[in-house]
Amino acid sequence: MTWILPENSQLSFEGLSTPLHVLKGLGSGSQGQVYEVELAGERLALKWYLPACIARDRQLESRLAAAIGATAPSASFLWPIALLRPTAATQAQLRCRESGFGYLMGLRPPGFVGAIEHYGGRVDLELRQVLRACLELTDAFHALHSRGLCYKDISLGNLFLEPSSGRILICDNDNVDVDGRDLGSVLGTPGFIAPEILMGRARPGANSDLHSLAVLIFRLLTRHDPFRGALEREIRCLDEPARRRLYGEDPVFIFDSEDQRNRPDPELHPAPLVTWPIYPRELQALFLQTFGPGLREPGRRALTGQWQEALSRTLDRRQLCPSCGQENFPAIGADAPAAPSCWNCGTVLPPPLELELPCARVVAATGTTLHRHHLDPLQPPQWDAPFAEVVAHPSDPQLLGLRNASGSDWEVTLLQGRQITVAPGMSCNLAALRELHTDGGVIRVRR
Amino acid sequence: MPTFPNVRLANRPLHFIYLCDCSGSMAAQGKMQALNQAIRQSLPGMARVARENPEARVLVRAVRFADRAHWHIAEPTPVEQLQWQDLQAGGVTAMGEALELVAAQLASPPMEERALPPVLVLISDGQPTDDFEAGLALLLRQPWAQKAVRLAIAVGHDADQEVLQQFIGPDPEAQLPAGEVPGASGEMPRHRTGGSGRSPRRPLQASNATTLAQYIQWASTAVVGAASMPASRVDGDVSGSNIPLPDLPPTMVDMVEDVGPVVW
Repeated sequence: MTWILPENSQLSFEGLSTPLHVLKGLGSGSQGQVYEVELAGERLALKWYLPACIARDRQLESRLAAAIGATAPSASFLWPIALLRPTAATQAQLRCRESGFGYLMGLRPPGFVGAIEHYGGRVDLELRQVLRACLELTDAFHALHSRGLCYKDISLGNLFLEPSSGRILICDNDNVDVDGRDLGSVLGTPGFIAPEILMGRARPGANSDLHSLAVLIFRLLTRHDPFRGALEREIRCLDEPARRRLYGEDPVFIFDSEDQRNRPDPELHPAPLVTWPIYPRELQALFLQTFGPGLREPGRRALTGQWQEALSRTLDRRQLCPSCGQENFPAIGADAPAAPSCWNCGTVLPPPLELELPCARVVAATGTTLHRHHLDPLQPPQWDAPFAEVVAHPSDPQLLGLRNASGSDWEVTLLQGRQITVAPGMSCNLAALRELHTDGGVIRVRR
Repeated sequence: MPTFPNVRLANRPLHFIYLCDCSGSMAAQGKMQALNQAIRQSLPGMARVARENPEARVLVRAVRFADRAHWHIAEPTPVEQLQWQDLQAGGVTAMGEALELVAAQLASPPMEERALPPVLVLISDGQPTDDFEAGLALLLRQPWAQKAVRLAIAVGHDADQEVLQQFIGPDPEAQLPAGEVPGASGEMPRHRTGGSGRSPRRPLQASNATTLAQYIQWASTAVVGAASMPASRVDGDVSGSNIPLPDLPPTMVDMVEDVGPVVW
């Protein structure tokens, strides 16, 4: 690899009071090269643009400056921190005669892998972690869109996941723009581009983000492309004109409720036939909406708030199959099916134990966590700070308890009416519990 | 322990075929060694691109041509399993026969019913000594060859540019009305040239080992990426071809070799 910035060099940049230590090249893509650097004792990442990228995207520099001024909408974005223009002395040391620029951002922490690793089946995640990643993704886009910004080019390529937790990071934030201002030339990534953008009828913005976001969520949840079904089978050479037909001229969702022309082929497209039925109707409905009427009418696409709600409720309904241990998400309450069965082994799922919170009903299953938003709808989710977690007894996995992960005591009423206190870090047996009082509200056990 | 269901991903083969000139002149000034090195060094990057594109099965083959043309790697080989055996130079330039060999493999069958556009990379330092026209005609009769991304790399300055351009196909920029400069109308140029008038629709001039390595790396990574899982699109990407080609690598200043060609 030929690096434009020499590795292990000290380079000065306009506006930086101290020189930047370029440690090593990390990778390169179609737009530029990414380096690990050190500035005043802090390790950061530097993206340096290739001359061709700068030449065709004349507003890149002003967009970046605006993004840096706006600061990150949420912690899920690896947001640009500072724009770097080389000093004359630095320019002379670069291995590219044309002048260029780059930007500093946080270094991706260890443990995060490209979302493509999950898509390619090379990392093991539980379904709840995939759902959690989708939820964090919609949270991030909700925050971005709420600020009047749009992303324009979300795809599997600029999303990173932490497999152990489902936490996410969104990188390549250099196309972010004020929605509707259209300072930029990016259209999106094929397969993720909304049909009206691909066909040249509109410019990318928050509405087309909603299409790309739905494609990304679908691909994370099913490991398949929402438009590759029987119509793709008819394509011999999958090239640009073929993609245009599939995604732009005549897109048909593989599970469209009316148009059956593009159903998955069991031989060629086995993945979605297994994965799609796992998810509850409420979540499927958002895909049917976005990839149904939403394909032609961007205003009818599911909104980030709807995704947040549906994904959050899906996670709250997680049940483990008593036979095979797989995660299931059947509806509960009035919508509950008569005898839901496990998608993996077909075992009929027993009626679950439910926790009733001020703002949610949550099925008790090992690993399920409770968060502030379950108590107060105005609280942000704070995914990394649950106040309670459903745990199995260390010596009897069938015995479920609720662990106090908050910082204060819980006052607990047992079934017989006896009152006890559960200190932080302790767990109480759900089978013995009637209700408990946290500092944020009451949790009742429903049987 | 619950896990995401172990499902089989939908994918399509992407056939990548090198056509390497092994004529006697390639022995001069270390050109043959430089090509062997360039291909060998490019394999890890190519394997990485293949890994990042789980919807593509990248399969590599190679033809060598001198007095006759032979399959150097006959079996479509997954790139991560590929071990490059050195090519040896000696003989004349049976380029036409090399095209015939590839044409036979691009017929259906043996080509799969469904695939991604194949990528063919022709590397030569001279002129064909056999019936190039017949070989090319045979190749271009195959629908898969018509759909293929065809690139050519001229090693040194004695390569027959016209022949390489015929292999690539007509350069759309060359068809602009006389006197019109690409991009002068205010629109983006149809092919991004990296600022030096180069275009992937024309033979790529590799005048030294560094440039040769850059072009081989570009063809085996950026082009493979474009043909399998396309990168972001920008305005002005609409080109005459069925696969928008990525930017050529930037012209790098070589700190050591910036004194003109050193190797040949």
